[in-house]
Amino acid sequence: MALAAIRRFLLDRCYLEVPTPVIVPSAALEEHLYPLCADGGLLRTAPEFALKRVIAAGLPRVYEIGPCFRGREAGPWHGSEFLMLEWYRAGAALEDLAREATDLIDAVAVALGRAPLRWEHTTVRALTLAACGVDVARASVADLSSHENDHTWDDAFFRRWVDSVEPTLRGALVVSGWPASQAALAAVRSDGDWPVARRFEIIVDGVELANAFEELVDGRELKQRFLQSNAARAAAGERPHPVDLDLIDAVGRMPPTSGIAVGVDRLVAVIEGWPGIARGRVPA
Amino acid sequence: MYQTSDIRKGLKVEMDGSPWVVVEFMFVKPGKGTAFTRTKFRNLLTGNVVERNIRTGDTLAPTDVEELEMAFLYSDDESFHFMNGEDYSQVAVPRAVVGDAWQWLKEEFIGRVMFYKGLPVSVEPPTFVELEVVQTDPGVRGNTATGTTKPATLSTGAVVQVPLFIDAGTWLKIDTRTGEYVERVKR
Repeated sequence: MALAAIRRFLLDRCYLEVPTPVIVPSAALEEHLYPLCADGGLLRTAPEFALKRVIAAGLPRVYEIGPCFRGREAGPWHGSEFLMLEWYRAGAALEDLAREATDLIDAVAVALGRAPLRWEHTTVRALTLAACGVDVARASVADLSSHENDHTWDDAFFRRWVDSVEPTLRGALVVSGWPASQAALAAVRSDGDWPVARRFEIIVDGVELANAFEELVDGRELKQRFLQSNAARAAAGERPHPVDLDLIDAVGRMPPTSGIAVGVDRLVAVIEGWPGIARGRVPA
Repeated sequence: MYQTSDIRKGLKVEMDGSPWVVVEFMFVKPGKGTAFTRTKFRNLLTGNVVERNIRTGDTLAPTDVEELEMAFLYSDDESFHFMNGEDYSQVAVPRAVVGDAWQWLKEEFIGRVMFYKGLPVSVEPPTFVELEVVQTDPGVRGNTATGTTKPATLSTGAVVQVPLFIDAGTWLKIDTRTGEYVERVKR
């Protein structure tokens, strides 16, 4: 019922379902994603790269629901294989997508016999201030973390987030204002005060369900991000991600677009109140 | 040094100058960052429980903790003396370290003695012991002030609550975790 509700919701909004390859030449850009290998290629960590090529080819609203794979992730809310939903909308601003995402999640909740969620819109800065009094817009590495292993601002920020903020998260949150350094494939704007990524996350009952971007449409900038990520990976002794030249080309031809990724196993588990995603328990 | 991949229940580590044991752990990964292992530790000296997030790449130090099964020999004013059955070496464990376990130690009983950096820091008695009642008042039914149990003194000096039909000279099985009478045993 969850999958049918998702498809019905997107069909009503003129999205086209486009299945894309699971075995790909380049599976990720981010430093901390570890793709698995298959048959001379890599298993995709997300359908993002392929769906962006579809947007660049001229289809304005597309989605895919399919398996994605990530190495070195195993826990109650992580699995090496999981079901991902991604949808992309050309011409949409991030705020439009946020509305659509909360509506879709409510539709799934209703299809599963539950009530729509009570949504709260907030920011990383507000949450961190409320949880531990630290203002991330002004904080130095030392303000965020005193751990001897935390040398970069990002390292310190994540430790602070995991230690002090994440355990306090309750309810249905749409969280924006993520630090610009963690933009991944999102555009970056200044929020007047400090540079933030055009990105939001949906976090329900402390579990991250969705990640949305106003997509970066500058191919050169994207290539830079690949190179930076790979430099960090090399420094950590990890294999570099193949730089996806087709993607870089496509991104340069994309219209302004917003896109979102939702973990379907997690979405159903959180709505149903399960203690985690479970192999063998399918989010039908 | 231990990596996060080594974390498992029962792993003993040194943190903040104390020995701790892992009691629970969970994989956590914020959207765009490295993974953490949210770990619950119990302090082997104080019993305190804390939770720490260990990031992949952080290391944990091993700790010098050893647990030995040793036979209780005798006690004196200062210590309880235990012997290692394998090499016959003896150790004197201070009364303060033995704590409440004194109640359940009779010669030849086997206790788990934990050593931290070579010094004894705790003694765990066997879970169940059989001890003789050396003194108890005869049980008088109808004495509603005391209910259906009465105190009895055991050969170690411990006092436990027992049913009224128990007499001096009876052997009892005691659960040392709760200090409670379990049943009478034939001796």
